[in-house]
Amino acid sequence: MHLAHLRLRDFRNYARLNADFAPGFHLLLGDNAQGKTNILEAIYLMATLRSFRGVGSAQMIRHGQKGYFVGGKVVGQGEREIKMFWSARERNLTLDGRAVKKLGDFLGTLRTVVFCTEDLQLVKGTGRTRRRFLDLLLTQTQPGYLPLLQRYMQAVRSRNALLKQFAPDPRLLESFSEQLVKLGNELIRHRRELIPKLSPLARLAYRRISNDAEELRINYEPSVKTDFSVELAQVRDRERRFRATLIGPHRDDLQLSFNDKSAAQFGSEGQKRTLAIALKMAQAEYLTGIHGSAPVLLIDDVMGELDAKRRAGLLPLLERARETSGQVFMTCTEENWPRELGRELQRWEVKAGALHGAKS
Amino acid sequence: MLPDSITSLIAALAKLPGVGPRSAERIALHLVQTEAETVKHLANAIVHAREKIQFCTTCGALTEKSPCSICEDSRRDGSLVCIVERAVDILSIEKSGTFRGKFHVLGGKISPLDGVEPEDLRIAELEKRLTGEPIKEIIIALSTDVEGDATSHYLAKRLTRAGLKISRIAYGLPAGSGLEFADELTLSRALEGRREM
Repeated sequence: MHLAHLRLRDFRNYARLNADFAPGFHLLLGDNAQGKTNILEAIYLMATLRSFRGVGSAQMIRHGQKGYFVGGKVVGQGEREIKMFWSARERNLTLDGRAVKKLGDFLGTLRTVVFCTEDLQLVKGTGRTRRRFLDLLLTQTQPGYLPLLQRYMQAVRSRNALLKQFAPDPRLLESFSEQLVKLGNELIRHRRELIPKLSPLARLAYRRISNDAEELRINYEPSVKTDFSVELAQVRDRERRFRATLIGPHRDDLQLSFNDKSAAQFGSEGQKRTLAIALKMAQAEYLTGIHGSAPVLLIDDVMGELDAKRRAGLLPLLERARETSGQVFMTCTEENWPRELGRELQRWEVKAGALHGAKS
Repeated sequence: MLPDSITSLIAALAKLPGVGPRSAERIALHLVQTEAETVKHLANAIVHAREKIQFCTTCGALTEKSPCSICEDSRRDGSLVCIVERAVDILSIEKSGTFRGKFHVLGGKISPLDGVEPEDLRIAELEKRLTGEPIKEIIIALSTDVEGDATSHYLAKRLTRAGLKISRIAYGLPAGSGLEFADELTLSRALEGRREM
């Protein structure tokens, strides 16, 4: 799968951009604040309808303009054309010229995995970051997962609203609990099945890019231990006090450890950074395994943070993308781009919201 | 700039369901250029319909006289009652032509997020009907989202009494369509609710 064409209008610092991309490796070079990451952001937006910088759409509009347009042509098993327009008053998303009615029909048109400095939060951050990582991966691979997750979150919100009342009707609470348990159990099953498949991929990736012999382990840490409805009944009094749903998949976590010691607590900065990259590599490998083609890799400035040994470990993944007619976009400043990547790459110069093909 | 009277007409039309600002403007401009007689006829029809139509005090359906023709119909099976969310849902079920019982309109579904509580729905009226009418079976036909499902569950619990059968309509595939058109959730629900042949 690759992105063959990208069109931007009033997106971030780009007034207009039209660019054609071949499969293979693309290096976006430029000084800081010229718009390198904005290109990755636009590509990621077409894949997930979100920014990986965690900002809303309003912030992606070029300064002083009403709305942005992002469009692209994706070549995979066929050719798909994505067009999205966003303004405060109007939003529009079409796939091959037809309005997208259900999110599930759209997601998966373009699959990406992004590597960025915020990935470190996968190790250091709260469980929410790791849940989002799991949810994104399951959404990209399990067709029914997204509607299930949306229904479950609706049940959590409804139930929380009930618990906020002065004296919730016990029969009513039970009715929403029943929904919570039924949908929650399905989510838990999906997540439980995913971890054993993801864990060896992450372990392999970690070993490939790290210097140390530490054994990486990933364990699923469900908030519900055995029986959701029994455990929910046990926390009833605490729920009345906290006025919120205290257990369930919305409180799940992933436990990351080296030699059975928590990575977040005992790992070094370098280990944590490597682990974050290993998780993303596992994500890319898993997607490739399921769909038979590699996702588009978006690498934002992370190479600069890695030493030569760790970079070398990442290279095989990038090389493979080229062999399987996948695609990689990587941003770098002129000083720190990894020259060991060789000559077979397309260099682009990014300067003040414009993109120019450069001779390699 | 448009005259004030047209602007206020557009604003009034835009409040109607399914009418956006564009359509509202088109309809308004059309109306003010139409013969006065035709427009008067339309206005009268609207006012007349609004004055005539009321909710049936028994089942909650839209009707000109209360109780409504369905509640009054002695050929219908009074022991069978179908619970629906909105009055218009009755029309959908009636069109199918297979249901010969009576109806009860709930007037919505329980939604803690929108502040809709059981007391806001016509559940007490239904309980009254259960004591006054010879009802033996209740079929719950609410929407299948989280709130609809929770409301169904709540109703089943609250209405339970000796000699009353409570069921809900099946989840399933749309008739006449292939499996490839069904979304995953519908399909898994349909598999769950499979029947022996």
